[in-house]
Amino acid sequence: MSAASRLRERVDGLGTRATVALGAAALLAVALAGAVAAGAGDVVAAVLGLLFQRSTLSAALRLSVPIAFAALGGIFAEKAGVINIGLEGLLIVSAFGGVYGTHVTGSVWLGLLGGVVAAVLLALLFAVVCIEFRADQIIAGLAIWLIALGLAPFASKVVFGSKNSATVGTVPGLRGLVANSGLPFVATVGGDALDALAGIPFFGALFDASPMVYLMFLAVGASWWTLNRTAFGRRVRASGENPRALDTAGVDVSRVRYAAVLLSGVLAGVGGAALSLSLGQFIGNGPTMVNGKGFIAIVTYLLGNYNPVGALLSTLLFAGLDALQLTLQGQDVLAVPRPLVRTIPYVSVVVVLALFGRTRLPEAAGEHYESGEE
Amino acid sequence: MTDGDRGDGIDADGPDDGDGADDAVAAADGGRPPLLLSVAIGFLLVLLAGRMTTCASAAYSLLGVGFCYDPFVVYESLFLGAFGDVASDPLNGQLATTLSETTVLVFTGVAVAVAFKAGVFNIGGQGQLVFGALASALAVVAVADPVSGVAGTLVLVPLALAVGALVGGIYGAIPGALKAYADANEVITTIMLNFVATSVALYLAGGPFKDPDSFANQTRALPEYALFPKALFPGRADASLPALALAVLVAVAVAYLLRRTAFGYDVRTSGLQPEAAEYGGVDAARTVVASMALSGALAGLGGAVYVLTIAGNFQTGVPDYGFDGITVSILAGNNPVGAVAAALLFGVLKSGSIVVDVGTDVPPQLVGVLRGLIVLFVAMPEFFRMIGRRVDVRDRFGGSRDAVATDGGEEA
Repeated sequence: MSAASRLRERVDGLGTRATVALGAAALLAVALAGAVAAGAGDVVAAVLGLLFQRSTLSAALRLSVPIAFAALGGIFAEKAGVINIGLEGLLIVSAFGGVYGTHVTGSVWLGLLGGVVAAVLLALLFAVVCIEFRADQIIAGLAIWLIALGLAPFASKVVFGSKNSATVGTVPGLRGLVANSGLPFVATVGGDALDALAGIPFFGALFDASPMVYLMFLAVGASWWTLNRTAFGRRVRASGENPRALDTAGVDVSRVRYAAVLLSGVLAGVGGAALSLSLGQFIGNGPTMVNGKGFIAIVTYLLGNYNPVGALLSTLLFAGLDALQLTLQGQDVLAVPRPLVRTIPYVSVVVVLALFGRTRLPEAAGEHYESGEE
Repeated sequence: MTDGDRGDGIDADGPDDGDGADDAVAAADGGRPPLLLSVAIGFLLVLLAGRMTTCASAAYSLLGVGFCYDPFVVYESLFLGAFGDVASDPLNGQLATTLSETTVLVFTGVAVAVAFKAGVFNIGGQGQLVFGALASALAVVAVADPVSGVAGTLVLVPLALAVGALVGGIYGAIPGALKAYADANEVITTIMLNFVATSVALYLAGGPFKDPDSFANQTRALPEYALFPKALFPGRADASLPALALAVLVAVAVAYLLRRTAFGYDVRTSGLQPEAAEYGGVDAARTVVASMALSGALAGLGGAVYVLTIAGNFQTGVPDYGFDGITVSILAGNNPVGAVAAALLFGVLKSGSIVVDVGTDVPPQLVGVLRGLIVLFVAMPEFFRMIGRRVDVRDRFGGSRDAVATDGGEEA
């Protein structure tokens, strides 16, 4: 225990440096696993080649979106003192809400809004239960997940007659948006410029992504700004670190916490809707299409030390592993069977938690705050 | 200091102490308001869903508004359907289903409760159950041939149970060790290990150990004599009273272990007051690993029982017993004996959901929603207490906090 905590102390505070080091370690581990599995150097080369393919980056960016948005939401809630372990549930209801909204309105963008509304409503329930009725946050968060796990397939069966929804429209790519923007100059010159940029090897994927990917980068920047440079951000942090001081300063701690949890609903809602609307379908079998992404999001922000940028970097790491996993499944480079390859992201989460398990939590996270307590 | 002394100490101070049976009753009492509220919300949900879908004629109307689903019929199917036509045939198939589901749920519920008592939140019951089920099925298939008949049953059933418990225990000890020695949050690691277990089991049951004569991903069928004897229940019914008896016995044994032994004392003090436990000489890290191993073993045992009563082999797509176990445990106030009653309730819900699926148009996933709602409402005793009694809600993740918070339901 003491040896472990000493190690922890040394590990603590490495922040993004740790993320980068870890990224390298993880890549090495994957490559090594490949070498062991096939016992050949050319396989390692092939895996590394896959890793730096344009399509891998493209997939990694796409897979990052729900995780990164959920992680941002988790950061706000937890910084404010409410541990939101129900992010997975928020992603699930918004994934369904996005498809349902699109199905009803015919517009992907209104569908996105529908997903956000669904997640915010569930986040509101979570907030009321935790803040008003002082529920244990971990159990309540778990309940949010279980509710969503039942509710989304239930609703899908009611509306679409099956746990998997009908297919609806998908979010158009940036190229399509530009071409159909209706602005004569933008449509032609902008389109050509994007085509040229998208042709760049590997990094070209950055210029040919879904608008949700750009929204993700924007949200990361905006979240960092909000947390560190605005009055609201200061209140959120104070509410998690020292709610009494905030109370003494005349700010209603409950209101700050409500705002932060609802914001986590908005962010997770965008992520969940983006997930289902990138496919145009809600899949409700088993653990649903969200499949643990909300829990991975929690790990990414713990690893990123509650810094939105750090969370994005660790999200890209996990999404990169997932993308690699998908590519490995698609191409018969490795002799490792598919179901085993599929475990890579989950195993890496466990390994990462074991290596960097302890992060410094906000002081009052998980605690109920009652104004006027002696 | 003798074990007895230590036991007395906690008996005087522990907030959830007293006789085991009393606890069970108290837990059942405390679980009632959340249960009723969940049922009420489920009622509204059925009405709402009945408005979202279309039908030729309303099944139910209220205040002049027609609804496609009748919530009364749904609940009647859910709760009464689970017992089948008991009056004319006390050993009917539906009741058998209810009892066999209950049996497995006792194991997973007690599994979660043990970990909870130690202040560890084991959400990995599903993964531990899956591996326990797979391992027991493989073990029996591997050694079934030389023995047969009653002797076979006497050898193979205990063997399958032991293998299931062992493998589940090991798989439970992993997140325990990660928590104890590396501070890795067990909520996340156990959930991740669930995904890993499902995938690995899919690989094993669909690859190396696949039944060559089947298209489904499943192992070879276990011989009849390797299964739990189906005393009383005839024919295809899969309920086994010996298995149910074993489940109840295990629940009582675990309650005794927690309440009357030195190990149980260590577990409970670690859960209630980790710092005090450590100060009093309890090796906190070892207790966490041991209680997670025990928890995993119980879940693995549940997996073996699932194979030996319900499934007859290992097949992918194991029902959510592990997650239901969380609800069972929380509803029972983490009391192993109370978990038997809570498991029966969930056995009724699971079996009833089949009746709902067959007899009505309402999706059986309704039960999944109820499961979540029950957990949510048990987590907020304050809502039911309605009086602003101060509740000590403390640290993150585990510690005594979860146990205390869930135990709060007893006082509602």
